[in-house]
Parts: sequence; C-alpha cells; structure tokens
Amino acid sequence: MVSEPTIVSYVSKLISMLPPGSVKDVYVASPHKAFVEVDRRSIDEAVAVAYWSLGGFLSTMVGVDMRPRESGFRVYYVLSIEEGISGEKLWLVIWCRVPWHDPKYPSSTPRVPAANWYEREVRDLLGIEAENHPDPRRLVLPDDWPDGLYPLRNDFEYCERPPGRPSRYRFMPEKVEGDGIVQVAVGPVHPLADEPAQFRLFVDGEKIVDVDYRMFFVHRGIEKLGSSKLTYNQVPFIAERICGICGYAHACCYCQAVEEALGVEVPERAQYIRTVLLEVERIHSHLLNLGLACHLAAFDWGFMELFRVREIAMKIAEILTGGRKTYGMNVVGGVRRDIPIDRAKKVLDMLKELKSEYLKVLDAIASNRLLQSRCENVGVLPRGVARSLSVVGPVARGSGLPRDTRYDHPYAAYRELGVKPIVESGGDVWSRLIVRAREVLQSIEIIEHALDRMPLGPIVAEKIEPRDMVHGIGAVEAPRGEDVHFVIVRRDSRLFRWRVRASTYNNWPAIPYMSRGYTIADFPLIVASIDPCYSCTERVIVVDVKRGLVKELSYDRIVYMCRKRGVANVDS
Amino acid sequence: MSILKVVRHSIKRGVVTILYPRVPIEVDEFYRGLPKLDPRLCIGCGACANACPPEAIRVEDRDGRKVWRIFYGRCIFCARCQEVCPVGAIELSKEFEAASRSREDLVFEAIFEGAKCRACGRYTGVTRREVELAKEILSLSETPRELVEKLSEYASMCSDCKRKLLREKLAGVWRGGGS
Repeated sequence: MVSEPTIVSYVSKLISMLPPGSVKDVYVASPHKAFVEVDRRSIDEAVAVAYWSLGGFLSTMVGVDMRPRESGFRVYYVLSIEEGISGEKLWLVIWCRVPWHDPKYPSSTPRVPAANWYEREVRDLLGIEAENHPDPRRLVLPDDWPDGLYPLRNDFEYCERPPGRPSRYRFMPEKVEGDGIVQVAVGPVHPLADEPAQFRLFVDGEKIVDVDYRMFFVHRGIEKLGSSKLTYNQVPFIAERICGICGYAHACCYCQAVEEALGVEVPERAQYIRTVLLEVERIHSHLLNLGLACHLAAFDWGFMELFRVREIAMKIAEILTGGRKTYGMNVVGGVRRDIPIDRAKKVLDMLKELKSEYLKVLDAIASNRLLQSRCENVGVLPRGVARSLSVVGPVARGSGLPRDTRYDHPYAAYRELGVKPIVESGGDVWSRLIVRAREVLQSIEIIEHALDRMPLGPIVAEKIEPRDMVHGIGAVEAPRGEDVHFVIVRRDSRLFRWRVRASTYNNWPAIPYMSRGYTIADFPLIVASIDPCYSCTERVIVVDVKRGLVKELSYDRIVYMCRKRGVANVDS
Repeated sequence: MSILKVVRHSIKRGVVTILYPRVPIEVDEFYRGLPKLDPRLCIGCGACANACPPEAIRVEDRDGRKVWRIFYGRCIFCARCQEVCPVGAIELSKEFEAASRSREDLVFEAIFEGAKCRACGRYTGVTRREVELAKEILSLSETPRELVEKLSEYASMCSDCKRKLLREKLAGVWRGGGS
C-alpha cells in the first residue's frame, strides 16, 4: 500500500524542480493519484520533469473543450509513474488551461518523444496547437478534411459531414540522404494492422533505411458519439467494438474509469469475473499472434496447431459469456452474467486440456529452428528507445521494461491474485513472442486461481449516485498492452469527454525504430510482432523515385516475399 | 533439429476440421444467438426498444397500431432486450446463421392492435394487450375492488379524455359536489 505522503512527496519534488509560480493548483484525488495544474507556458517543462526525473511513462494525453463551462480548453497529460525513486506506482495528471482565443501551448515532443502522436491528435481534433512540434502533418483527420474545423469541439455536431477538399499526404523520412533510395509503399490497408495503415518504406536495395506511415483511415468518431448521443451505460457496448480482439479489455477499462469517477464500489465477485474474462481474452489473442508469427515465417503447421488450441479458448468464452467473443458482459458497476459452479468446473477441465495441448504444440515448435531463425535478432527495439516512446505490453516487456498494468496499477482482482510481469531482455521479435508464449501459461494459472477463490455475492453494484464533471481514469492490461480510458462524467448520465487510448497507439511509433536496417521481407514479421490485428486486403506499391515507376504488388505477393524471404524485384 | 516431431504430432492428431455446413455446429446451452420474439406473449410496450444499445429493435406507431421491428443487421447479441422484457417474450435463440443475400430477410416485424379510447373512440397510443395486462395486474393486487374498477376505466381511455374527466371532477369538487 502507498501512504498518502508518497504522492505528496512526488508532487512537491515536481514543484521544486519547476520554475517558481508555475504550479497553480494541486489536487490529490487518492493515495495513488494527483492532479497538478501548471501554467500553460511551463507544461512542457513539467511533463519532461515528470517523465525523466520522476520516472514517468506517458499513458495518455487528453484535450478537452470546456466551453461553455469555462472560457477555453484544457490539456491533460496522464503519466504513470513507474520508475520512481522508491518504486511506487502512481498516476500523475499534469494539466493546464488553454484560452479559446489563443489555443496554444508549448510542445513536449522535442523532449518527450512519446507525446508525438497525442499532440498531433489534439491539434487535429480540437485545434489546440502544440508550439514547436516537429511534425506539422495531420495524424487523425483525413487529408481532405477542411481546415479550421475541429470535430471534438463542443460546437461541432456528431452527425455533421463537411465537404472534402483535394489534398495529398507527404511522406517524409527522418534522415534519408543519398542516391538510390527507393520508396516502397505498403498499404493503404496493411495485412496485419488493426486499422488500415499506409506505410512508406525507404529502401536501399533490400535494406530498410527509414519508415513513414499514415494511419487513421478508419477513424470512426466513437469518442464523439460516446460524449454526445449515448448515455454512459450504453457506451460499454460500443467501447468493446473499438477492437475486434481485445474488446472486453476496452469495455472493462471504460467501466473502471466511470466507476472511479462516480465512486462506485464494484462487488468482489464481479471483479473476479472480469479478471477471468480478461485472461480468457489474453489467451486467445496471444495464441492468435503466435499463430500468425508462424504463418509469416512460412511455418504453417504451427499456425494451424495454435489455432486449433485457440479454439478451446473461444469455446471457454462461449461458455462464460454466450458468445465466442467476450462481448456484452460489462455494465458500469459490475458484470451481467454470473459464473455458476458447474460452468466453472467445465472451464477448469477445458483449461487443463488447453494447457496440455498448448505445451505439446510449443514443444514441437521449439524442436526445430524454423520460427526462431526468422525471429531472432530481427526488429530489435533497444530498451532506451522503448523507454522514450512509452511502449506498452509485450513490446515493452520484450525490451526489458517490466511494465504490466496488472502489476503496476492493480485493478479487478489482480491485487489479490498477484501478477508478476514476464520480462525478456532481447528486444527482438523472438523476445516478444517468448513473452506472449509465457503469458499464455500465466493466464491459465490466473484463471484457475480466480475460479478457485471467487467469493460469493452480487455481481453488480446496487446503486450509482450521479455526480457532475468528475474525472476518472481506467487502465487495463489488454493482450497488447495497457489500454487507458479517460472520462469526464456529467450529472445527466452522459459523458462530457471520453478519451480512448488503445495499446497499439503507443506501440506504432516504435515501428520505424524496429525496422531500420532490416529487409523488406522482415517487415511484415516486425509489424506482426507488435500484434496488430489482421485486416483482409492489402496492396503494396513499389515506387522507384528516380524513374517515377509505380508498381503495385498484391497482398499475396508481400506475404510470399516474407515467407520465402524473397527479393523484391523493384524494376520489373 | 527434428521436424519429425512435428510430423509425428500431426499424424497422431489426425483430422480436426469438420464439414461445417453439412455437419451442424453445436453451440453452448446459454448461447446468445438471434433474438426471437414470441408474438403471442409480447404486449408491445417497447421496453426492449428503449434498452437496445444499437437501436436494432424499434417500436413505431403505424395508424394506431404498434409495430415492433427488429433489424438483425444491427443486432449485437447483448441480450439487453431479454433482460428488460416484462413478459419474457424475447429470448436469444441458439441460431447464429444470419447471412442472407437480401436486407429484407434480416427484418422481422410484429404488429399489435392499438387500444381505442372508451370515451372518444380514438387510438390511445398503447396496445390492447398493454391495457389488458394493466387491468390484470390491478385485479391481482390488493387494491380495493371499487378502486380497481375505477382505475380499469381510466386504463382504457386516451390521455385527452382522462384529462377532461379529471378536470370535470376537479370542477365538481370545487363546486362542492364531487365524490
């Protein structure tokens, strides 16, 4: 347990390291969380101090349009303090007010690279400019979206459809010089992305020199919908549709955020049921990713076998929730379906089968080097880069960072069950796979414990008191890493602001660092190693800049290249 | 380095896929498939339409009748409708094969006759079954019999007529003659 003075000592350290007078207000919300309001001009300084000196990771950043309640905007940086002096894990929220007539604040990105995407997103959606941001391009909004129109502002209706304008996105490598650099475009829909994404590879022969990307082609406006049309009890059902694989984690994360904001006590049994379902989801997601890695390494036997084993996990989900996906289970205050004893017994039997089958398959996969030879020393993400980008989940743990929300900020029943993060230090694709492979076994153990120790009692909170303009932060360790939801709840059972940060959001910016120096054939494997979902169509455009040649390759072709480790024939 | 282990494993495993469309897939006992309405039980109250998060179920007025309508294309199989139904008319079936070539196949409608006002003869906006159920609940309650009869009368009137009646009664009380 963390005593109150700890968070106070962190805040006073932060204050002492900032120029005098820059901290305006401090609000200690709980022994683990504090909101620090700083002056707009020193927000970058405050974030950098909290990130590097207090050992923080950037978990999310939120821009909020507070009008008409206040005369302007707010910008929140949510930092998870994990590498602190005394090892405590805390939430530190650093925020500032931004006036409406001058919506600007200094950018933290030059000193904290993890803030890059967040600040661009806030600029796109709310029109709050981060000054001195190194990347002036759009991130979230489509390129043909009209200038000066910001969809997350309160004066923008959720159903508005503005006319487009012609435009073009400019891909730019960080530092690429010299002749003979050829651009290879991967996308607009990547085979392994959970969102369609367009990658531009800058290659020298076969070697990747740099990578640039354009994403958010399917930005669906879920946040806007959640904070305008829906009531907060409807939102869990759309929250779980944010992702097709780790949907339950999002619903759980959202409910935790609202529960925290409204001060709802979730019954213990509901906490255990949530834990069980989260772990079932992790098993099936990790088995999917391990299978896909085998597929891309042209080791289809492993792919088929792991998917066969995964089917048991899907069946467990069906028994527990009534659907093959763990959907429709969460409401604010608890869960909707209980786990009776006979079903729990059935699940335990199936888990035993899953474990033995899984170990057999792993043993067979490990008996030869087909997979290992493709993954070892490929896509290395050094620990330092991982730290500066605040990567999450198996990507962080594969690079030696012991980050696991279940351990750092225990939620549901993880405090009682005690989870230790599984860490590998290699930083390559293989390490990330090993982390996942070991986590499947860990998840099986957690489910067994949880089903065993589950206390009796109600599964949903009786009463929920409305509160006005309260903040809540929910964090859940989804299969791919930490999901963070930030909510501001209004009295009329709607949301004032709902900010979703999926785990892959923090992991994508690491792709260029992982890819530099490796070949085009390794690229799909590297992208797969951060575990994005599989999308169906894929086109690859190969552009030879010197001759202006454009060639499109089919999805089959790039997967074939990856599997055969083949050579891209750019000229033909 | 032995690929033999893999081969041995596969031979031992044998065929695991099934001939799905020809061999049906068995789902769990409490599976959540397509929601099915039992029109014999439904009273057309619209509780399910209120609860449905994606608005797959809607209840609309059509010439005094209530039309209950589900579009399976929007359904997310959350079972909220089943949870809130006061008469247990909706149940999530074990059926999951909803694929179809036409959109119309995914729509299911049930039409309920509207109740007419006892006084003016216009539609009241509720269904006959709702009125009947309200009367039934009243008669089963411990309310005094006279009051039950009086309330049952109100139940089959439109809101305009109810207001008129109340107004007249209040005026009667005001004059000192009301009951």
